[in-house]
Amino acid sequence: MMDYGDAVACAPVTVPYVRRSDKAAAWWLGSALRKLLEVSGVKKTQIEGLCLSSFTLAPDGPAPFVQYVGLSPRFLEFLPFGGACGVLALRRAARAVQCCDAEVVACIAGDTNGPTSFQDLVAQFSSFSRDCVWPYGAGGPNQSFALITEHAMRRTGATREDFGKLCVAQRRWAQRNPLALLRSELTLEDYLAARPIAEPLRLFDCVMPCAGADAFLVMHRSRAQALGLPCARILATIERHNAFPEDPIQWRGGWAMDADALWSQAALGPPDMDVVQTYDDYPVISMLQFEDLGFCAKDDGAEFIRRNDFAPGGNLRHNTGGGQLSCGQAGAAGGFLGMVEALRQLAADARHALVSGFGMVNYDRGLCTAAAVLAR
Amino acid sequence: MTPIAELAAHAKAGELALQRCTACGAVQYPPRELCLSCLADALEWRVSDHEPGKVLATTTLHHSHDPQFRSRLPLRVGLVRLDAGPTTVCFLAEDCGTGTRVVVSAETDDADRAVLTAAPVQAGAR
Ligand SMILES: [Zn+2]
Repeated sequence: MMDYGDAVACAPVTVPYVRRSDKAAAWWLGSALRKLLEVSGVKKTQIEGLCLSSFTLAPDGPAPFVQYVGLSPRFLEFLPFGGACGVLALRRAARAVQCCDAEVVACIAGDTNGPTSFQDLVAQFSSFSRDCVWPYGAGGPNQSFALITEHAMRRTGATREDFGKLCVAQRRWAQRNPLALLRSELTLEDYLAARPIAEPLRLFDCVMPCAGADAFLVMHRSRAQALGLPCARILATIERHNAFPEDPIQWRGGWAMDADALWSQAALGPPDMDVVQTYDDYPVISMLQFEDLGFCAKDDGAEFIRRNDFAPGGNLRHNTGGGQLSCGQAGAAGGFLGMVEALRQLAADARHALVSGFGMVNYDRGLCTAAAVLAR
Repeated sequence: MTPIAELAAHAKAGELALQRCTACGAVQYPPRELCLSCLADALEWRVSDHEPGKVLATTTLHHSHDPQFRSRLPLRVGLVRLDAGPTTVCFLAEDCGTGTRVVVSAETDDADRAVLTAAPVQAGAR
């Protein structure tokens, strides 16, 4: 694959999450745009491109949104791909900048969370899910991931304690992150004793739906330097949809198809990553990413969790903002959470970061996978 | 009639209907208007009173997003790989664990939607 030249990502911002919001999605997305301008010094008229991700923007789409916020972009992408949208936005924006289709691209993801937003979204997520999953108890993603988790536990020997280790470590990171909604202490005992939701999943395996927005800018390196913005180079990216449709149950994701290409293009490997941001709507998905992205062999995910320390001060800096499990899941912003966190870590002391995404659980499996290797 | 309505109409008659492509022979579920393999729209219904399969994974739901299910919790739900090919989301009858050989049958619920239920293959049953 062709490299991304001098296109860089910078200016990570978050509109602080709240549990419930009576604001519209456009308020969250537009507020993220305002924050991008504030922190970067870029003028509104200089935003020539926009990559937008949201589930709750309806009836508006990307074109009504740019009218709402008074932008006139010459590059506009709508990427309603849930947990994969951060990497997808990055790689589209980087190509646009590299090819001069836009000088500066704003990448924004966000959603509101009214009293019934989440239920409405889940009930009408897709035709297959509405017709052939919802009538079976309306468990939503908890139900789908419970089945994937049960299978993965049998496959790898992973226990509730293994998944609890990831959740507890992320909570400890969240205690250092004022933007995380869940910062109270979480012990392994709390995790194990929580109320069951969809066995084997219990309360702390499940993300808390909330409202919020995350965003970043993509531009030429020289412009970022002129603005004094710490920036991240894009060494490699991958994207895949509906990988392995012949698998009877999801035991691997599209990363397994593309990880070799990712590391080859980056000319780096998993041990070179100073920080790793996996998509963590449920801890089992982090384990799948460790396996499929080559941090360990397939079926060795449980052992990998046991032999690494993911908490602050540990050997593997993983989901360093607390992940969605502690920050909350602000709809499509969940797909940006790892990206903005990686950009913050790269602006601090990390040299290399992996960001991985997973989105669109439809019928029996998640369909969209993506990953990016970034360097300061 | 939409494919999902046809599925429900068969279920109301106690039949489990899977789509079969008359062009390439692929069998599919959930139903749709094209063959997922060759994209032909020459689909027929392969109707039986039940389909054999095997349970791939199970869960017990203690939480539902829809109030109409709350009085029925906990609910046992699973993924079943049909011998005919597709993976189906099913309610699980008693004694259905992961790996259990099952037969999957269809009926309609209070909202006239098709719902599938997997039950263990009875010893001695055909
Ligand atoms: Zn066909």
